[in-house]
Amino acid sequence: MKVCVKLFGTLPAYYPGCYPDMGLDVEIPAKTSVAELVDLVRIPPEQVAIVAINGMLAKGNQLVPEGAEVKLFQPLNGG
Amino acid sequence: MSFLRVNMTTETVQWEDIPEEYSLLGGRALTSIMINNEMSATVAPLGVENKLIFAPGYFTGTPLINTGRLSVGAKSPLTGGIKESNVGGTVAYSLARLGIKAVIIEGKAVGDKYFLLNIEAKNTASLVSADNLKGMRTYALAKKLHEEYGEKKSITCIGPAGDFQLHSASIQSTDLDGRPCRAAGRGGLGAVMGAKGLKAIIVDRQGKIPSEITDAVGFQKAARAYAKDVQNDEFSGQVLPEFGTAVLVEPINAAGAFPTNNARFGQFKGIGKISGETMARVIKERGGKTQHKGCSQCIIDCSNEFVTEKGEYVTSSLEYETIWAMGGMIGNDNLDAIARLDFLCDDIGIDTMNTGAALAVAFDAGYREFGDADAAISLVEEVAAGTEMGRLIGNGPNAVGKHFNHSRVPTVKGQGMAAYDPRAIQGMAVTYATTAMGADHTAGWVVDKNLEAFGGTVDAMEATGQVEISRNAQIHMAAVDSAGICDFAQSGLATEAGINNVFTMMAAKSGQVFGREEWTELGRRVIKAELEFNRKAGFTKDDDRLPPMFYNEPLPPHNVVVKVSDEQMDSTFDFLRNTP
Repeated sequence: MKVCVKLFGTLPAYYPGCYPDMGLDVEIPAKTSVAELVDLVRIPPEQVAIVAINGMLAKGNQLVPEGAEVKLFQPLNGG
Repeated sequence: MSFLRVNMTTETVQWEDIPEEYSLLGGRALTSIMINNEMSATVAPLGVENKLIFAPGYFTGTPLINTGRLSVGAKSPLTGGIKESNVGGTVAYSLARLGIKAVIIEGKAVGDKYFLLNIEAKNTASLVSADNLKGMRTYALAKKLHEEYGEKKSITCIGPAGDFQLHSASIQSTDLDGRPCRAAGRGGLGAVMGAKGLKAIIVDRQGKIPSEITDAVGFQKAARAYAKDVQNDEFSGQVLPEFGTAVLVEPINAAGAFPTNNARFGQFKGIGKISGETMARVIKERGGKTQHKGCSQCIIDCSNEFVTEKGEYVTSSLEYETIWAMGGMIGNDNLDAIARLDFLCDDIGIDTMNTGAALAVAFDAGYREFGDADAAISLVEEVAAGTEMGRLIGNGPNAVGKHFNHSRVPTVKGQGMAAYDPRAIQGMAVTYATTAMGADHTAGWVVDKNLEAFGGTVDAMEATGQVEISRNAQIHMAAVDSAGICDFAQSGLATEAGINNVFTMMAAKSGQVFGREEWTELGRRVIKAELEFNRKAGFTKDDDRLPPMFYNEPLPPHNVVVKVSDEQMDSTFDFLRNTP
C-alpha cells in the first residue's frame, strides 16, 4: 500500500531535491508500524523524534494506515 | 569584579566590592536572590523602591562559548511577582569584560527627568540627561547613540512602550550589528526602566578585564570539549543555523499543540505558509540571511535577517515564539506581516508574545476578525501612539480581557502563555502554572520529553509523570540561567560527559568543589528565593493555576483538557516551601 512521507528540518537532506511540502510516495507492506516506516525510508531512527499521521501525533508502535500522510520531525531543543 | 549601583533619585553612581554571599552567583541566581534579600516584596513595581538589576551569567566573559546572556530582574508590573527576563546580544559580555558583575538601578528620577547611563570602563560611569529622548523608538535611538558615543558600544534601551510604562514593555538590547533586536521581553521590565527615568544603558564593548578563573587550564579544557559537543550536535550544529527556532512551527503544530485563534484550536490551517522551512526558503530567495550571529561568543548562529521582496531589511531575528504569537495565535498566515509585527514590537519596545496574546484576546472578543494582519499592525502602532486601545494592548492580555469583559484570557499570574498549548503538552501546564514567573516556557521546557521518542517518554496528554519532569526541568533551568548558558547551547550539557564539563568549569572558576549536588542545589536555591518573594508579595497556591479555558474547553484535534490536578500542581514545589 502507498503512503506519503513528508520530511522536515534537515531530514530532506537524505533525499536530495526533496522539499518538506513535496512528500515521498512510499510503498509499504500492510501492518507497517511507525518505527518500521522510519527504517524503510532509511533515515537513522535517532534522527526522528516526532511523527504525525494525518495530523495526529503518533507512537512508534502505531500502524500506518493506507494513504496516510506521515510527517517526520527531528529531535527538538529550545523554546 | 564590582557592582555598579545607580541611584536615579540622587543621580549618583557608586562602585561596590562584591559581598561574599554573592561572589559565586551570576545571572538569574544573582538577580533573584538579591531581589529577595534586598527588597520588600510589597513595593510598587513602578515605584521608587523597586530595583532593576542587570547581571551577566556566572560564565559570561569567560572563554566558554554561548554565554553572552544577561539576566534582568525586578518586581514585575505585569505579574506583581519576581521576574527574571533573559536576553542575549552584546551587553552581558561587554559588562563582564569591564569587570562588572551587576548593575543595580535604584530610586526614581525626580519629576520628568530622563537619563542615559553611560558605562565607559570599570569605575567610570555617569548619568547623562536625556529628556529629549523620551518617546524615541529603539532603532532610531540605537542609531543616534552609536553616532554620538561610537559604534563599539552596546545599547540596552526602552522604546515608547517603556516610556509609557506599559506592562508588556520590553528592554531591547543591540546585537553584534548594533541593532536593538534582542529582547528581554517578558514581565514588563521595560516599564520598570521607564519608571526609573532610564532610557538606555550604553556599555563600552572594548573591555579586556579577564574573567577570574582559579584553574584556567582546567576551565579551557572543559570549555573546548563543551564547544565541540555543541558543534557536533545535529540540532545546535545544523538545524538551528539553517532554520533557527522557527523549526519548531511544524512539529508543534503536528502535535496539535500550536495555540491558534486565541487557543481555540491546536492546529493552524495556514501552518505551511509560516513554517520554519518556508521562512528559510523565503529568506534565501530574497537574499536575506538564514544564518546570522546575534550574540557575543555564539557559535550556533540561530539568528536570521528577514528581508522584503526587494531585499530590504525587515527584522532580525524571526523566532518561533513570535511566529506563533503574531501568526497562529491571531489567525495570521502572512509571514511578511509577522516579520513586520516583530520589527514593530522591537522598535516600540514591547514583548511580542504578550502582545500577540493581547491581540488574540481582542480578536476573540470580536474587536477584529482573526487573520486580520492589517488590524494587528495598526493596533501595535497604536501602542506607540499612546491611544486608549494602544495602552490596553500594551498592558497585555489581562487588560484587554477586562476591557472587553472577555474571559478567554490565556495567562498565568498575568503573563501570556507561550507557543505550547498546555492541554496538548501537559508538562507545560505544570511549568506555566508553577513557575514564579507567570506562564513562561523557558522556565521549564519539557516539550522534548512530551513529544519525542515517537510520541514522548511521558504521554503528552496525560498528567502522569508531568510534575516530576517539569520540576526537574525548572530546577535545571534555574541553574542554566544562573551560569549564563544559552538555552540553545544546552546540547553541550545534554549528556553525562557534557554536564560534567559544566561542573568542571564551575569548580575551575570558583575554586570550590562542584558536582551534580551543587548544581541541583543552585537551581533549588534560585527557585526557593523566587517562590519566597512571591509568597511575601501575596501569592498563594490559587495563583498556581491555569485559566478555566484550559480545564473546560477540549482542544482540537485531540480534544483534551488539562488533567493535572490542583494537588499535583501544588506538589511541584511543596518540598521547597516547607524547607528552611
